[in-house]
Amino acid sequence: MKKAITTIVVVLVAVGFYLCILYGESLGDFDETESVGSVMCLSCMGLQQ
Amino acid sequence: MKRRRKKHAVKPHRLGQIIASIITLGHVPALWTGNIYQGFLKRGCVPILNCWGCPLSLFSCPIGALQHFFNLQLIPFYIIGFFGAVGMLIGRMACGWLCPFGMLQDLLNKIRSIKWRLPRWMTYVKYAVLVIVAGVIAWFTAEPWFCKLCPAGILEAGIPLVLVDRTGDIRALVGWLFWTKIAILVFVVGLSIPIKRFFCRVFCPIGAIYSVFNRFSLFHLRIETEKCKNPNCGYCAKICPMDLNVYENPNQKECIRCMECYYKCPNVALTFGFTKQSSNSVK
Repeated sequence: MKKAITTIVVVLVAVGFYLCILYGESLGDFDETESVGSVMCLSCMGLQQ
Repeated sequence: MKRRRKKHAVKPHRLGQIIASIITLGHVPALWTGNIYQGFLKRGCVPILNCWGCPLSLFSCPIGALQHFFNLQLIPFYIIGFFGAVGMLIGRMACGWLCPFGMLQDLLNKIRSIKWRLPRWMTYVKYAVLVIVAGVIAWFTAEPWFCKLCPAGILEAGIPLVLVDRTGDIRALVGWLFWTKIAILVFVVGLSIPIKRFFCRVFCPIGAIYSVFNRFSLFHLRIETEKCKNPNCGYCAKICPMDLNVYENPNQKECIRCMECYYKCPNVALTFGFTKQSSNSVK
């Protein structure tokens, strides 16, 4: 019984994290990630402009 | 009759690392255009260090994205959810099965040399790197300082860009920060020869995040105590790429679930799964 409850809690927490992703998506996190990832950040590579 | 495990020509986790390297660095047109990939896939993060400044990179780096949101002083719900979802499912397994920089360290450690054991306290440094460098400093300076110091980034993106630069524009940008990154890379590579997975254990902020989930993740390793007749044989500890005493706790925070111990234990005492342990096993 204890094992089953533990597994259910772990699954629920995991679902909570998936919902966190969806909430981030609704705030535009995916678009923001795509836009920043599409720019070559030279300073991030140690190349100073 | 004792059950034997199948022998593999290539270790399964090594195959995973190779395939992951090919997929994450799969923007082949960059080889002749030199242009960074700009497209839909960049919305997705891979669960490993993956410099998104590399023209070959198809996906985003989760720690780079985390810092970007901190730079904007925003709560990164997407990245928190991403790390949490991966961590709750497989714990630190991505470090063992997908990370190209981890593979490099594994291979470097195969070079014959004196071998050193890492003091345990040093494994806590990565939490400070995560909180201070990738967190607090990124938030207040609006600069992704972990990226600026990341040895994987200089290896994947910085050095190749300078080497293939035909116009000299990129080479003109080489300065103290570039040489600092080179020095960090040399330091990490140098210490990865005598110390197993030096960077992963001491500095990697992604490893720091996943390590928290190892104890709770759905995927876990188990030791069948009936089969592990002699825990002091220490074979699993000897072959472990993270230098862990697996028999003491197969789900300790540093375990990268590479399954090396599972495949090589002479007593076949290790199992794994997504279900909870039987009564005669140690989780």
